[in-house]
Amino acid sequence: MLWKRISKLRTVLGVLNRKVPSYGRFKPRHFCSVPPVGQGHTIFALSSGRGKCGVAVIRVSGPASAFCLCQLTRMKQGLPPPRTAVLHSISDPNSGELLDRGLLLWFPGPQSFTGEDCAEFHVHGGPAVISAILQALGSLPGLRPAEAGEFTRRAFQAGKLDLTEVEGLGDLIHAETEAQRRQALRQMAGDLGHLYQTWSHTLTRALAHLEAFIDFSEEENIEDGVLNQVDNFVRQLQMEIHSHLHDNRRGERLRSGVHVVIAGEANAGKSSLLNAICQRPAAIVSPIAGTTRDVVETALDIGGFPVLLSDTAGLRDTHDIIEKEGVRRTRERLEQADLTVALLDVVGLLEASNKLTHLLFSFLEDLNVRQKQQCILVLNKIDLLHKKELNDLHCALKKEEDLPTVCWLSCKTGSGIEEFLRVLRAELEILCGNPLLGMPSLTQARHRSHLHKCLEALGLYEYYKRADMALAAEGLRSALASLGRITGKVGAEEILNLIFRDFCIGK
Amino acid sequence: MLPRRFCHCHRARLQFLSTRLIGQNVSGDQYDVIVVGGGHAGTEAAAAAARGGAQTLLVTQKLSTIGTLSCNPSFGGIGKGHLVREVDALDGLCGRLCDQTGIHFKVLNRSKGPAVWGLRAQVDRLLYRSAMQREVCATALLNVREASVEDLMVEDPDASRPGLARVTGVRLGDGAIVLGRAVILTTGTFLSGSLKFGTSSVPGGRLGEAPSVGLSLSLSELGFTKGRLKTGTPPRIRKESVNFDKLEVHHGDERPVPFSFMNAEVAIEPSQQLLCHLTYTTPGVEDVVRDTLAANDHVQQDTKGPRSLHLAVRPSRAQYRYCPSIESKVLRFPGRAHQVWLEPEGLNSELIYPQGLSMTMPVEAQVALLRHIPGLEAADIAAAGYGVQYDYLDPRQLHPTLETRKVQGLFMAGQINGTTGYEEAAAQGIVAGINAFLHTRSLPPFTISRTEGYIGVLIDDLTSLGVTEPYRMFTSRAEFRTILRPDNADQRLTERAYHQTGCISGARVVTARHIASRLSEGISLLKSLCLSSYRWKQLLPEVGISQERSGHMR
Repeated sequence: MLWKRISKLRTVLGVLNRKVPSYGRFKPRHFCSVPPVGQGHTIFALSSGRGKCGVAVIRVSGPASAFCLCQLTRMKQGLPPPRTAVLHSISDPNSGELLDRGLLLWFPGPQSFTGEDCAEFHVHGGPAVISAILQALGSLPGLRPAEAGEFTRRAFQAGKLDLTEVEGLGDLIHAETEAQRRQALRQMAGDLGHLYQTWSHTLTRALAHLEAFIDFSEEENIEDGVLNQVDNFVRQLQMEIHSHLHDNRRGERLRSGVHVVIAGEANAGKSSLLNAICQRPAAIVSPIAGTTRDVVETALDIGGFPVLLSDTAGLRDTHDIIEKEGVRRTRERLEQADLTVALLDVVGLLEASNKLTHLLFSFLEDLNVRQKQQCILVLNKIDLLHKKELNDLHCALKKEEDLPTVCWLSCKTGSGIEEFLRVLRAELEILCGNPLLGMPSLTQARHRSHLHKCLEALGLYEYYKRADMALAAEGLRSALASLGRITGKVGAEEILNLIFRDFCIGK
Repeated sequence: MLPRRFCHCHRARLQFLSTRLIGQNVSGDQYDVIVVGGGHAGTEAAAAAARGGAQTLLVTQKLSTIGTLSCNPSFGGIGKGHLVREVDALDGLCGRLCDQTGIHFKVLNRSKGPAVWGLRAQVDRLLYRSAMQREVCATALLNVREASVEDLMVEDPDASRPGLARVTGVRLGDGAIVLGRAVILTTGTFLSGSLKFGTSSVPGGRLGEAPSVGLSLSLSELGFTKGRLKTGTPPRIRKESVNFDKLEVHHGDERPVPFSFMNAEVAIEPSQQLLCHLTYTTPGVEDVVRDTLAANDHVQQDTKGPRSLHLAVRPSRAQYRYCPSIESKVLRFPGRAHQVWLEPEGLNSELIYPQGLSMTMPVEAQVALLRHIPGLEAADIAAAGYGVQYDYLDPRQLHPTLETRKVQGLFMAGQINGTTGYEEAAAQGIVAGINAFLHTRSLPPFTISRTEGYIGVLIDDLTSLGVTEPYRMFTSRAEFRTILRPDNADQRLTERAYHQTGCISGARVVTARHIASRLSEGISLLKSLCLSSYRWKQLLPEVGISQERSGHMR
């Protein structure tokens, strides 16, 4: 069903060309003959999840798809009409035994996901039904089980998807939260690929102008100012890629989850906060300081954003070897944290009210918090304080402008938790961005590394442009190749095409 | 002008040539390699095969046209200079002959980095031709015969290799059959060639020379896919009618860089080099082109795209991208001043070659057009410009050795494969010649990859992508441009070709090895020189030395 949903989405998104040449009602019968060898294998696989379920979808793609539809259904009047569900019996091609009754779908290439002829069997999702049909398919000549990702690979090779779209599709399938789904869908629709292609075009143009300058400027008329134009193109591109890279890893965070670490002194109530957020006793809590010794992790969906919440051992000097290791791990976590929830016992604050500021800042410094945006300061156990004491503290903290957002709560009574979650959601939104607004976000470390290489190569251009034109052009060439590696498209002939479109070049 | 040793032996060589020609009209002659055509591809192919040790016959319609520069009197340029250097590294002829007969040497792109330097030379048309003829005559095992080739002789293929047939020789115009184990076709524009003047067209491969029609037919019969391409040449102008006073003067380099790795310097005294002049078209030129469009078939077809004799190889583009004629240039890019280079044709020549003015309009219109170009107001046309249409064979029918996939032992090189330019032709010629020789000895083929040379780029592009317009070399076609430099062509190719082909002379490889050892000496000397960044900065204050890794010894 998942596949069907995706295919529906793709159609809605207009990725599939819907102007399909009509095949008439049925395909000619000779299509049902054994396909010629040497056209490549036809592959099949169970495309829905494993285990017992209502409906299972089995997909077939390749030149023998029509043949296997005919073999399994023994349809008298040929193939079903393209892209229309038909209820039909499915039987073993060898014994003729009835295996199941289900829906058949026939997608003649190239208007299919893979660009090849495709067929789908929607059958009842029992393990025996599925294995019987898979066995029947495997017994046909020219068919073999698909390898992991092979359908998508074929779609990529047929030019149906570029690499970023393939990745978007993968992300969509694995999307667990709303925001992830939105981002993946946007990427699958080609937004990110489109952005990279625009850059690629700018770069191709710059390179074409530079190549024209190298190959023709001394014998033909190449207008002055061509090099300035190249410079402008490159500078603009550098700026755009730079700002795209400095998005604080929004897209990648949204894709792989935001690391939120709860840290603070021992017995401040970190595990209680974790349990309060999870709404279940995920971590052991006790009044004894140093209860949590290892990192406790839970994956959560907070307001549509994927969060990997870690509860850590309290930071304190200790001689206990196990607890020491726990503190080391806490520090390690803090290094990688996208967002730190710094937890303090409010009673402790009250006791040190005369050097409050110093205490707070040294605490935050200890937690390795560099920017206030990456941190929420949580003051726990407000139930132990009187109203007046609380008010005094409030007033004292309000004077401090450099403090991160402060939340007052009590894990014990639950007061302030709602407000804390609201603040947390807001921080998450800042960290992940709204996937539907603005430039599409960078979602994969792979993109980041290629873009870095691209920038590096553009730097080479800048470095060599006054000294050695061939080396400068080499910089642009490898920058273009790096961009091409993101979408999987590297063009060479198009550079010459551009040269000849833009310049008058004689014999 | 010429090195004395050549003048000294010229007469003896001619005698030698005529003695070898006598007694060869007997049918049933047997050769290892037969080369059809005596242009840039043909001469390189024949000489390479003979160098290897193949009994070689070069068949040409006219002995006197061997080594003719049919179009521009120059060699090299950006990308093309790389090809000449690589041909020279494979012991080819054209680089050495240019050094002997050049009259104006210039390295283009001096300021853009050594990888894209374009070695270029104007050569004396007549001197080059006679030098080439002497060179061909002087090559041992290389015989020459004046005849037209009408048909290819084929037999059943050698079953152990791919192919539908095997070539066994050629049938000449007089019916005589010459047997050969390999045949190289380098027919240039002669395959069903036709010359275009205004609206009229005359069969011919070059002005005053008959086309090769029989051969074109026999290639069709063998099932080769053909297409039609065209090119053009500008009118030649009498020198005394040109007013050079107002024009931009271009001198040759003060220290000419020779093409050949064998030469330390070129033959001409640097100060004796002839001048080139640069002028530009004016709006009047555009008017003449537009007014005479109706009388200009060639250009009208231009806008309809190249026509193919047979099925188009690929969907043809509307136009060639290289603006082959002044007509196409002003039509595609109106309102611009287009460059016209006035190039000398030779030391004693009375002609000027106006590079950039290739045209096919009627002669009267050509005269009218020249009136609108500064310096050429009173220009007197000695020979009118014209267009040539000719058959080419889809080069995707070739192996990377330039042997055809269909017919074993049949090789193609030069314009017949859809290229343009002397250098591209010579480069293919030498590869075809070497491989034809290896074929006759049943030795493994010799190919050059894209990573090793522009020749590799050229042949790989041709044999894997085919052509839709005349293929010309550019440095932008080479992916490995920064290492495929003109200065290291010998280091890339000579040693390997020497070991794998035997078509390289001993003197050549000795020179290459000498250069290699000097290079490695130089490199180790540089490596032994190790100073801190600070010291380098002191010694070379004008060089920007990066501070980043200061302290490191470099």
